[in-house]
Amino acid sequence: MTKPIIEVKNLAKNFGDNQVLKDISEQVDTGQVIVVIGPSGSGKSTFLRCLNLLETPTSGEVDFDGQDLTTLDTKKVNTLREQMGMVFQNFNLFPNMTVLENIKLAPMKVKGISDTDATKRAHELLKQVNLDDHADAFPTSLSGGQAQRVAIARALAMDPKVMLFDEPTSALDPEMVGEVLNVMQDLAQQGMTMVVVTHEMGFAKSVADRVWFMADGYIQENNTPEAFFSNPQTERAQDFLSKILM
Amino acid sequence: MKNKLIMAIALVMALVAGWAATTTTAQAATDNSLAKVQKKGTLIMGTSPDYPPYEFQATVHGKSQVVGMDVAVGKKIAKDLGVKLVVKSMSFDSLLVALQTGKVDMVISGMNPTPARRKNVDFTHTYYQGGYSIVINKNDKGIYKDKDSFVGKTIGAQTGSTMYNESKKQTSGTTVKGMTSVSDLILGLQSHKLQGVAMEKPSAQAYVSNNKELAMIPSHFDLSASDTSASVAFAKGSTSLVAAANKSVDQIRKQDLVNKDYLPAAGKYLKTNTVNTSMLHYWKAFLKGIEYTLIITVCSVFFGFILGVLLSLARMAQGGVFATALRWLATAYVEFIRGTPMMVQVMFVYFGLGLIVNLPALMSGIIAISLNSGAYIAEYIRGGINSVDKGQTEAARSLGMTSGYTMRYVVLPQALKNIWPSLGNEFITLIKDSSIVSIIGVSELIFQSNIVRSDTYRGVAPIAVIMVLYFIMTFTASRILNHFERKMQHD
Ligand SMILES: Nc1ncnc2c1ncn2[C@@H]1O[C@H](COP(=O)(O)OP(=O)(O)O)[C@@H](O)[C@H]1O
Ligand SMILES: [Mg+2]
Repeated sequence: MTKPIIEVKNLAKNFGDNQVLKDISEQVDTGQVIVVIGPSGSGKSTFLRCLNLLETPTSGEVDFDGQDLTTLDTKKVNTLREQMGMVFQNFNLFPNMTVLENIKLAPMKVKGISDTDATKRAHELLKQVNLDDHADAFPTSLSGGQAQRVAIARALAMDPKVMLFDEPTSALDPEMVGEVLNVMQDLAQQGMTMVVVTHEMGFAKSVADRVWFMADGYIQENNTPEAFFSNPQTERAQDFLSKILM
Repeated sequence: MKNKLIMAIALVMALVAGWAATTTTAQAATDNSLAKVQKKGTLIMGTSPDYPPYEFQATVHGKSQVVGMDVAVGKKIAKDLGVKLVVKSMSFDSLLVALQTGKVDMVISGMNPTPARRKNVDFTHTYYQGGYSIVINKNDKGIYKDKDSFVGKTIGAQTGSTMYNESKKQTSGTTVKGMTSVSDLILGLQSHKLQGVAMEKPSAQAYVSNNKELAMIPSHFDLSASDTSASVAFAKGSTSLVAAANKSVDQIRKQDLVNKDYLPAAGKYLKTNTVNTSMLHYWKAFLKGIEYTLIITVCSVFFGFILGVLLSLARMAQGGVFATALRWLATAYVEFIRGTPMMVQVMFVYFGLGLIVNLPALMSGIIAISLNSGAYIAEYIRGGINSVDKGQTEAARSLGMTSGYTMRYVVLPQALKNIWPSLGNEFITLIKDSSIVSIIGVSELIFQSNIVRSDTYRGVAPIAVIMVLYFIMTFTASRILNHFERKMQHD
């Protein structure tokens, strides 16, 4: 129960001379919702991408389910990635496939699930994100909010243990933010472990178990949302919140 | 065209020289050339059939075939050896390379046994002693008397032939222009690009008797016997084969078969030949040309595409020494192919690879053009892959897909859609560029039109016909490709 699903130990990441992540050690327990906030360019995306090894850490460990991902070979990394769904700011739906095909592709090709089973599961997931009537549409015909909900369904189709969200609502028109956040909130309520990078403070306050504040290559604060928002400890965080909340 | 061809030949010759040298020395050591021919039961004769009455294309029983006195000589030699004669057509320049690389067993093409040629091949005794004439336009009769009348003018001769070299040596103040085919030279004469064409007397006679606009004058070239005599060429060191052929050649000389039988027979073909020179009459020849052009193009694009995909993936290989080596190799290949003329590549595959495996001309052509096209297509595909958003790869990888699956199901389909217009262009370019394989004797459209030209003695009409045919093919192809492009955009 207390065993964390993700444990990061002394994680560092450089791009050339640019030390983006300096020394990060944190853990995520099963069922937790973590919201990561911080100024733009502080390395939030890089951190998230280090968790599923889309970026290779320069040093340190990323333990997932008790295994250090940084020591695994490519094949094992692929199978571990299946268990960590990722949702991107720009949706990254495959434009050459329908909504249904987008969702079915990985389960069929990676897990070898039959077309019938994959189709059935895809429809279930589409119902879950309220888009079953768009199954045969192509991504270009969808609104941003719809596209992002399809992207969430696509990630869920692999039955991941953890979902990573990188600013899922930043590219959306304001009126569409709500529909995506609702889907994420439902997911959290169902017990999904989630790491969410977002600027939606309302979501952080109502859904997050912990808020991590990232700046200058470190997690500066790790606290409950109530404590973090009412009483930020570091000057960096106070400064950030005062800019965001006005 | 001429310079490119000569350069191409020089390059191919140089490249195959090493192999050729080893094969010829091996042959000299143990000469089994005669036994080899007898064992396979065929004697392959290489010739350039645009030189009547020596050799030319004629329609016999509705089928186009090579006839002429040289073919009769070849038949006699084959018969005396107890084997079947197979005639293979190619451009005059390619003949000796074909002999050295084993594409043909012998060359009979009105060829003079000059000392320079003797260095590379073995000749039989002379089977025919000719002389040179100059063909002129009939209207110019009286202006030109012999080789010395062309000061300040231009005369033409077949590239690589003895006439060409002698015309250069023995005239002063006269420009000598070389062309690959005699049909082209006659066309040049009639369109007044040339004032005279030097060729062997029997050929001159054939042209003049078939074309009322032409006349012939004596050349008065000062020539040694070897410059006016015609011999059969064999690969260097095939002593037994040459000795056997010499028996036939000696009989031909003794019984004067050329003048008594072969030339009159060839003359008959020349007469029947000119009965119907309408282009419609030759629709079968053109159709065959279209067929081969399309076969070459479609096959080359298909194999070129597969090669292109592999090359582009190799060029983007990541990680490890192996990947680096692969990347380096693929890059070197693409650069090399793009940096050398397709014509040289075609000749290299046909003559060069021919030393190792005996590939038919059509297959050599398809291989060479596929290899060439693959390099260009690889570059289009690489560009197409780079144009696909990186987010697509990240999304696929985050779903647990391997890099191979990601490429195959996500990136490549999108890349192909982006480069479809470029691929279409490549296809249309190949319809036109496939004509290069005519130099190794593949009966595609250009080659067929050359046959029709030498068959009908009409210079321009066949060119006009194939121009229209090429346009119809490329235009239809581009319509079809546009249709698919529009369909793909709907997705
Ligand atoms: N692939 C990369 N190559 C080089 N620098 C990068 C790369 N990705 C991110 N960075 C740099 O790392 C820093 C952090 O970027 P990022 O993680 O996207 O921050 P955030 O998501 O918090 O805005 C930035 O300075 C950015 O320029
Ligand atoms: Mg970011």
